[in-house]
Amino acid sequence: MRHVFSVRIGPASFRVGSDWRAPVDQLRALYAGYPAPEGGIADYTVRLSATRPWRRFVRPSVAIAGDYMLPDAAPLPLAHGLLAAEMAMNLQLALGERRFLLLHAATVERDGRAIVLTGESGAGKSTLAALLSARGWRLMGDEFALLDPETGLLHAFPRLVSLKNAAIDVVRAALPDARFGPLMAGTPKGDIRHLVPGEAALAAMDQLARPVRLVFPRYGFTPDARPVGAGEAFVRLTQASTNYVALGEQGFDALTRFVRAVPAIAIDYPDAASAIAAIEAEA
Amino acid sequence: MGEMSDETDHDGEPREARTTRRRALMLGAAGAAAVVSIRPALAQTAGSVLTCEIPVPDPGRAGGYIDANGNVVPAGTKNAFAPPLRPLKGEDVRRAMATGGNLPGMDYERSRAYLKYVGRLQRGTTGFTCFASLQMLRK
Amino acid sequence: MAATRYRAPAQGGLRIAALDDLVAIYHRASGITHLAVAPVPELMEAMAGEWRTLDALADAFGLAADERGALIERLEELVATGLVEAA
Repeated sequence: MRHVFSVRIGPASFRVGSDWRAPVDQLRALYAGYPAPEGGIADYTVRLSATRPWRRFVRPSVAIAGDYMLPDAAPLPLAHGLLAAEMAMNLQLALGERRFLLLHAATVERDGRAIVLTGESGAGKSTLAALLSARGWRLMGDEFALLDPETGLLHAFPRLVSLKNAAIDVVRAALPDARFGPLMAGTPKGDIRHLVPGEAALAAMDQLARPVRLVFPRYGFTPDARPVGAGEAFVRLTQASTNYVALGEQGFDALTRFVRAVPAIAIDYPDAASAIAAIEAEA
Repeated sequence: MGEMSDETDHDGEPREARTTRRRALMLGAAGAAAVVSIRPALAQTAGSVLTCEIPVPDPGRAGGYIDANGNVVPAGTKNAFAPPLRPLKGEDVRRAMATGGNLPGMDYERSRAYLKYVGRLQRGTTGFTCFASLQMLRK
Repeated sequence: MAATRYRAPAQGGLRIAALDDLVAIYHRASGITHLAVAPVPELMEAMAGEWRTLDALADAFGLAADERGALIERLEELVATGLVEAA
């Protein structure tokens, strides 16, 4: 039996098919209020299927599939089916997107101007973006910044914000009225809970923004801030992009233009409050 | 360095400009790299990439020999190497390029010639995709 | 034995963007991006679309005999990255 959920998030739409009902129900509940794919046709397809026919029922195990695949992806237990779906959606975009240069980054916007927070897993991008959204910043996304090579502008892609371990309670305290997904404990990435982007983020989903600051946050260090040159920013962003190579010359143009136009700063911070203060000082 | 009193200028170019260029060329001499190739990250491609292969030379130039600079030259060309019997394995190329060692079962000169051929593959030539993927993993 | 000659892509074979003290170079034929420091673009320009011997390049940059070692190193490096051909 196939369960299906379709949704548009910014310029990308997804159709998720599942052997089980639970992940689809969870997606439908959390993305309530988001539009359907334009014209009913989704850009990306995701399949959540049982690794073997009997694994639909016995120790149910979710294997991720779609148009774009990476081999050797380990399946997840059904209890983490929502995580599997979100990871699969990320993968489709990461491998398949060609309209925009993708940067692993969180983006927040105010007055049409966007701050891009980029860094490796654990740098705190999602957490900082969630906390900034409690302070009047519009959340454009926490996982991928979508840079339009033609215009140099950013498109919003507000997916469920993935919070890990200690960050979950920090964000719940800062956003007491926000909606959260289920707690998924003991995933390969630790405890995970998703934050649903608020009304403001959803309402402004199709509004573009001009990038004005690039920030490289680093968690767990004494406070420090230093400017980052265009050359260094360029190299670091090629490491933070999943489709720079695939975009070829267009990617080169988009990224060189970006680093020349957008001043970059590296911010080391010991706690969220310190980071927020440093980031807002850049605004 | 910098003494140019006995040299004449070429094309009337000012002496200072040439001195500056000489100095600039000396920057990063002695072992420092002046060029770095971007090796973008792509999560978890390890499995598929390492099983890819690179034919040497590409099928369109099958039978050609490989000279010391990695160019494909007519079979039998003096000082050039006969191509390997089997395509090079992605993993072997990656390891050789990363460690500076030889390709398995080959001496230094032959291995170097083949690796230079690989390093010069261009988009559209068989084996380029495999090579480009290796670039992503070398770091 | 003929001297080694070097050649960089002709005009239009590269896209170049200066970024503070580094230069980003997009090599069209391979689709690979390289990052280089200042002397490299000038060096490549001296070989753009033309085969040049080591002597010719050393002359173009007014190098003395003991400075050719650095030039050779730069050239070998460029050949290794695929930006320059050697024959």
